[in-house]
Amino acid sequence: MSTMDSISRFVRTRITRIVIVITLLSAVAGYFFSSPEINNLNAELNLWNMNIITFTLFIGLITIYFSYSKSVSQRSTNWPFRLYALVLIIVWIVMGLYSGLYSDMYQTAFLSTKITLHIAILGQLIFFYLSAMYRTFRVKTLRTGILVIFALAMVVLNSPITLSNWSAADQISYWLLNNPGMGGARAVVLASGVGGVVLALRILMGLEKGALRATGG
Amino acid sequence: MKIPELQARHVWAIVLIGYLIPAFIPLGMSPVISSATQTVYDTIQALPPNSIVMCGGGGVFAFDLESSAGLIAALKQMSKLNVKVVFYPMWIETMQFSKYCVDSARVDEKYGGPWKYGRDYVILPYIPGNEVGLVSFLNDVKKTVSTDYAGTPISQLPIMDSLNNYKDISLWICAQWDGVTILRYVTGEYGIKVMWFAQSSAYSAFGPYMQVYPGKIYITNGALGGAQYEKLNGIKGLGHAALDSNVVFTLMFIGFLVLGNLTMLYGNKKVEK
Repeated sequence: MSTMDSISRFVRTRITRIVIVITLLSAVAGYFFSSPEINNLNAELNLWNMNIITFTLFIGLITIYFSYSKSVSQRSTNWPFRLYALVLIIVWIVMGLYSGLYSDMYQTAFLSTKITLHIAILGQLIFFYLSAMYRTFRVKTLRTGILVIFALAMVVLNSPITLSNWSAADQISYWLLNNPGMGGARAVVLASGVGGVVLALRILMGLEKGALRATGG
Repeated sequence: MKIPELQARHVWAIVLIGYLIPAFIPLGMSPVISSATQTVYDTIQALPPNSIVMCGGGGVFAFDLESSAGLIAALKQMSKLNVKVVFYPMWIETMQFSKYCVDSARVDEKYGGPWKYGRDYVILPYIPGNEVGLVSFLNDVKKTVSTDYAGTPISQLPIMDSLNNYKDISLWICAQWDGVTILRYVTGEYGIKVMWFAQSSAYSAFGPYMQVYPGKIYITNGALGGAQYEKLNGIKGLGHAALDSNVVFTLMFIGFLVLGNLTMLYGNKKVEK
């Protein structure tokens, strides 16, 4: 193994693990203890984290640019769309830098293109909702019958036409959300929370092979 | 007689008709005010002058448009109360969304409104890190952000003089999809009241938070909640416009459900995939 490989392996396995352990412990300590030193350390690491996240935006931009440029030069599948994306990236960056992200020109361009198209895509979802109502909500068994009843209840009870004519509809839908709905939702949230704690402990103890490729060696 | 199966193109055609009906035949629906929406209105109305209200969260502009109905009406309301508003963009598009809402509410002095930028409201730049950025901001505002969206140092913005940490925040208003992060940290960890103009899907998923933090969290229900808030403020906007479509598609939902079951009972057995 060459020296470079050894250094790379050391950074990947040891240094990354040390960084993860320090940051995890500082977050945990910052939550459970009220020491000013720990809070300061935690706050400082939070700021570092924010800086790293900002930096990853540039990494993403550069990665996409190189990947798409390669695709365009090799005329791979969908290369015209990638070329279009590359042109758009440049146009938006130049426009943002020239006019400012908060200028009326940038805002108008943003609303007229990206947002309008996105709204159109979201508007098409209603087709899939209606199609799903027609094709899949067919009462063949008791279970599908219960599903249909609750789905229908949420649609009907939250509709303005129902609420305008029947004031109790609001309370019924709220009760359904708060009791049967919340029971199931809490089970999912608690299970994922416990799972998160277990995962964090495994990472801290070096048992999670392959987490960030830091503990697997 | 057998009922034929509808094909995808039939559903598309009916959806198109559904979109056109409210445009050509307005139903003029008027919402009934829910208790949660009324409480949001009353809470904002009771804010003392010069209170600092944070307004922000993480969301995607097009999706958050449903929430803009309530927020625009709330901005109009707050502009009359001499309340100070600081916009906190937690996701990238939230900054543009904030500008859209301020412009639509016509509260800035450039539109003849009472608000002056820097004195009555400020839009902060995109603050990355979601929960990390939020916690950092709540603990120490000046350490987390040093400028507004345009790069103006916050020391030159009078509104920021009295905002140092979470203790200075009277209320947090969220009109974005990721309101649950705001609920969990802003209310859950720091005890600040949150009013969330949520999308209807977010309301269905996270509405029970109102029961978890009684008196601290109030959530309005999508475009319907927005229309209710518009009605409380005596205006008609996107919320009212969406109500008619809501009614049309509710009826279509029921119609398609009934038709699907009738087709199952009396139709051909083959279903289009």
